[in-house]
Amino acid sequence: MFSKVRNALYNAVGGVEALPAVADGEDQSRTRVPKFPYARPHFLLFQQDEVQVSADHQIRPIIVPRDISKIPWLSGYAETVNAGKSTWNEDQACVQQRILVRESEKHIQGAGMPYTYFALFDGHAGYGAAVAAANQLHNIVHKKLMDVIDHVLPPLELGNNGVHGHMEASTHRGMALWFPEKALPVDAFITGALELAFNEMDAQIGEDKKKYVMKGGCTCVVALFIAGKLYVANAGDSRAVRCSLGKPYPMSNDFTPSTERRRLQQLAAHKPELLSDNFTHLEYNPRPGRALMGRKILYRDVFMTGWAYKTCAPEDLRTPVVTGEGKRSRLLATIGVTRGLGDHELRSIIHNTPIKPFLSSHAEVKIYNIEAQKINESDVLVMGTDGLWDVTSNERTAEIVQHSLQNFPFGDKANAKYRFTSAAQDLVMHSRGKPEGHNWQTTGGAPGTIDDISVFVIPLTPYKSEWEAWKQKNEELRQIKSAKLPTSSIITSEEPRTDMDLQFPADSLPTGNQTTGPSDRTTTPLQNGTSSSSIPIEVFVSQPDVANALDLRLAEISLDAEEVLAPEPEDTIVSNGESSAATGDNADPTSPNYCER
Amino acid sequence: MSYAYLFKYIIIGDTGVGKSCLLLQFTDKRFQPVHDLTIGVEFGARMITIDGKQIKLQIWDTAGQEAFRSITRSYYRGAAGALLVYDITRRETFNHLTTWLEDARQHSNSNMVIMLIGNKSDLETRREVKKEEGEAFAHEHGLIFMETSAKTAANVEEAFINTAKEIYEKIQEGVFDINNEANGIKIGPQHSPTNASLPSSGQGAGQGGGCC
Repeated sequence: MFSKVRNALYNAVGGVEALPAVADGEDQSRTRVPKFPYARPHFLLFQQDEVQVSADHQIRPIIVPRDISKIPWLSGYAETVNAGKSTWNEDQACVQQRILVRESEKHIQGAGMPYTYFALFDGHAGYGAAVAAANQLHNIVHKKLMDVIDHVLPPLELGNNGVHGHMEASTHRGMALWFPEKALPVDAFITGALELAFNEMDAQIGEDKKKYVMKGGCTCVVALFIAGKLYVANAGDSRAVRCSLGKPYPMSNDFTPSTERRRLQQLAAHKPELLSDNFTHLEYNPRPGRALMGRKILYRDVFMTGWAYKTCAPEDLRTPVVTGEGKRSRLLATIGVTRGLGDHELRSIIHNTPIKPFLSSHAEVKIYNIEAQKINESDVLVMGTDGLWDVTSNERTAEIVQHSLQNFPFGDKANAKYRFTSAAQDLVMHSRGKPEGHNWQTTGGAPGTIDDISVFVIPLTPYKSEWEAWKQKNEELRQIKSAKLPTSSIITSEEPRTDMDLQFPADSLPTGNQTTGPSDRTTTPLQNGTSSSSIPIEVFVSQPDVANALDLRLAEISLDAEEVLAPEPEDTIVSNGESSAATGDNADPTSPNYCER
Repeated sequence: MSYAYLFKYIIIGDTGVGKSCLLLQFTDKRFQPVHDLTIGVEFGARMITIDGKQIKLQIWDTAGQEAFRSITRSYYRGAAGALLVYDITRRETFNHLTTWLEDARQHSNSNMVIMLIGNKSDLETRREVKKEEGEAFAHEHGLIFMETSAKTAANVEEAFINTAKEIYEKIQEGVFDINNEANGIKIGPQHSPTNASLPSSGQGAGQGGGCC
């Protein structure tokens, strides 16, 4: 509806807007601005106007992407804003399709391994951390995956450069050699990359909170489709559930004070200084009041699963580290989620005790081997923030999805593309319910959630087909490499560049990290001279042997991948404090400078 | 740009009658022959002038498909105007008007101005619903009526603007309580939109104040 130009103009105008004058704040706040402007997920293509409208707390419109092809595999997405507990929808989402490829093979079509990333972030106490994670986490994940690329995707020519000398480059040059000797499985490295990325994202937010306005914290759930499998990494109380034939199969655990009680109590017991005498690591049944002083009370310590009696002493009147049960449980009487990102500044609403030491950014990673499973068009992964799950159970979710998919059957060519979007919308609708007076009510008359809700419904078969096609082509590519075809058919970076080389079609196709900025691309030798995009595609077709050797089909995948990528003016990969500060500063000129307060 | 009032519209009617195309023609002045199915709701906005006053129309374009009907119903609330659209080349879309109207009356505020629109007036040769029939239906139910073409843009401006005029008149007559946002009318912000811009502005466009 609104042109991109208008958007750019708006941003430009927003960008020159003067920083708000600070009359009462400390000096530092005068210069602090958000690192990332508030926005809705990139694939919604929202203009400012639409961001405003989508935050209508009375109507709570259920938002779906207007161009559903912006999400890979026609996956569904739907969201709705809360009923007024915060001005903005504090959930965020991100989708990326990228290619894992080493620098030296970037120019070889099909050498890189495509992967797809979905993420949901449920912000609290401000939207800053969630927005930051939605803008950056995928870059950190990519960097961590690149660090272990030798274990995920061995080089086409093994043992060539010494780095991979420890691998046996003898018999096969295929999948069998993807594991080095004394190998850890690929799973271990991808899991490690995800765990490390969460940790680094949290540290990054901690650093940025000192330099920018970046409030609050967020939960984080990531679904990574790579190497033939689905990896779900979760920290917080968002949830991922695989649904098949109307049945749910959880792919994550919730991390709340209730489910992490043991960890929290143990930490409190081992580091009592964190409690500063305001809280106790003991658990009571029931929690004693002043009237019970000197009387027998039921309690248990961290090393106990059973219960015992003690005499109530003054220190037993302190607030337990974990209070309440289930969804209502609270850590240090304040927060209901115990893993996630951010919250560095968070303090207990009683006693002002710092809470961050008790929070964890550790991702729990669960793996589903898509390649090895028999799945069909109704197999999906549902990822949702807790707004969904507070009202809609896993079982009900699987039923709703099945019902929605039947409304838009796979065989209905005209409408099948809406099936997952419709399922996502139905799930949000079920948890939000309808307005009844000042409340929200589900169809069954039960209360709807007043929280933000965001949901992905991701079909699993498209990745399976994509992976199998890629794997076959990559295998062929490896065979060609090992058969030592004439150098004219395969370019390696070591070869001097000639005009003949320019005829090689792979140059004209996007490879590698699709969101890498132009400045990064110029560092590859192939970018010298002629613009690669000007190479006519006919040249490709006129060389049948090369055409066979390389992968037309993957070319399509790569091009598709580029289309769905979010425009990113800066590559915000963060390696250390220095560079992150630099990228952060560079990223700012395009964003409206406004003050969060 | 600052405005004196913001009016909230909703566009309803059967699937394929051209709701999204009407919106696109009005906001972007272009026609898109093949339009994706609307799932849920989409938004558009445009500034118009009535009686020398800047009025911002915020238009909610809904899904016409039966499968989404219950979701569409939740958007009637808080709309000051509704465009109820049928397709003059498809009789059944006209026959369903009663159902749509019942839905609208039941879920909206009673003062909502409803404009009945017979769309696709450019397809005269395929016409199945006479203009007189549309007029009669509108008269019977107290609606304003127009035939439009989202393709040629005929009457599209008029449809949106006449609805706004009707709402504006009702405000002048004191029928609408403009301080109750549930009526789909907001008084414009006192300041330039930089103040109303994201996200420093709390609840969005300003309360109170107003330029009128």
